[in-house]
Amino acid sequence: MTSKKSIKSAFESMMFIWGEPLSAKLAGEVFNIDAKEAYEYLKELQQEYDQEGRGIRIREVNKSFQYVTEGSNSEYIERLCTPMKHRRLTQSALEVLAIVAYKQPVTRGEIEAIRGIKCDRVLEGLQKRELIEEVGRSTGIGRPILYGTTDAFLKYFGFSTLRELPEIEDIEAAIEYDEAKDPLDLQQIALEFPGDFQSSDE
Amino acid sequence: MSYKVKINIFEGPFDLLVYLIENAKMSIYDISVSEITTQYLHYIEEMKKTDVLMASEFMVLAATLIDIKSKMLLPRMVPDGDSGDYEDPRTALVQKLLEYKKFKGASEMLTAREEETLRVFEKPKEDLSPFVSEPDELLKLDINQFIRAFNDFIVKKRKVDEIRRNYERDEHHRITTETRIELITEMMSRENDKTFSFYELIPDRASRYDTALSFVSILEMMKQRKIEARQKSLYGDITVRATQYLLTGLTEPEAQQEEPVYD
Repeated sequence: MTSKKSIKSAFESMMFIWGEPLSAKLAGEVFNIDAKEAYEYLKELQQEYDQEGRGIRIREVNKSFQYVTEGSNSEYIERLCTPMKHRRLTQSALEVLAIVAYKQPVTRGEIEAIRGIKCDRVLEGLQKRELIEEVGRSTGIGRPILYGTTDAFLKYFGFSTLRELPEIEDIEAAIEYDEAKDPLDLQQIALEFPGDFQSSDE
Repeated sequence: MSYKVKINIFEGPFDLLVYLIENAKMSIYDISVSEITTQYLHYIEEMKKTDVLMASEFMVLAATLIDIKSKMLLPRMVPDGDSGDYEDPRTALVQKLLEYKKFKGASEMLTAREEETLRVFEKPKEDLSPFVSEPDELLKLDINQFIRAFNDFIVKKRKVDEIRRNYERDEHHRITTETRIELITEMMSRENDKTFSFYELIPDRASRYDTALSFVSILEMMKQRKIEARQKSLYGDITVRATQYLLTGLTEPEAQQEEPVYD
């Protein structure tokens, strides 16, 4: 039987080649070990990289793992080369995404009721960027489409699973705390509003 | 009371309303409806002036605000005995605003996370072809799937072959409208006065192509006024009769000018 050490070493090589998130199941199949065991090994690897403060980290996206750069090094990467232009999501896109993320599966009507404004084009755009997808149809009148978030959504916001989404009540508390004028915290959650609010709607 | 609204774009009517309430340092649970309505309407006027394309939803909320305002102005009719049952006309709106604020907060949390993850880079998947020696090995089909796929292929090939055979045959015997018109003219000249049935004008081997060709030819000849055609009932037979133009071989001057539509 292959030793744990060599399996973990092999997983590193496999992730390096794979680039895209490599699922624990697929990685495990290579060694005939079950997905759960493979998942544990990959989790261990992730922790090791974090503990050692490496410039390459392992990111988990819905039970799949991939190599990414350490965020704090972005400045140096930018000095070396200019990475792809960031296309930030618009405020309206983020609002719709927040509703979909917390209330999924959710219909367009429900989203629009919360926002008080039509969202069809925003939904279309989010679908095109594959951050949300149709997950079925409601049993309600007209059988409207139900929307849910995708793995790309998790990746985009750096969540491993949907369970990592903070409780919405906690967010509220944090924001109220913010408004109580704690300058330190204010900086942490400070939002940059670029001059152009509609930068990347489509 | 003076105020200036600087931000131009709000994500929706609730967004604007929440902004106005917070800007006026009001409690969301105790909105001064009359003041907020005034500000809200003023803002909408500003939007119209600056020619911002305004969604109709903004007007809906304006109407709701005015509705609430008018309800608040009415004396509260509290029936004797149950004084606690009075419903604040603002309640429904407050509920909606709170719900909206909740998700607005969540979207701000997402914005912060987006900012963070945009600093993290990933590498696209490598071109893995050098690592795959035998691409066929990737075909992990069980035998039944394979048989099905093969059968599908055979059936499809047979169909394509058949279509190709038909296609080629027609290519060889391709008859144009001109030759068909000639044929019909000849048939009609032989029997001067006869009224022909449409079916008589289709040569023996009555394929779909032949039928269509005769039909188109007849239409063309009608246009040139060489024949007269009648159809007594829907889907009924068409009877065709030669006119003097066909029989004398003369063409009507105006018909002559027209370009042939088919070739």
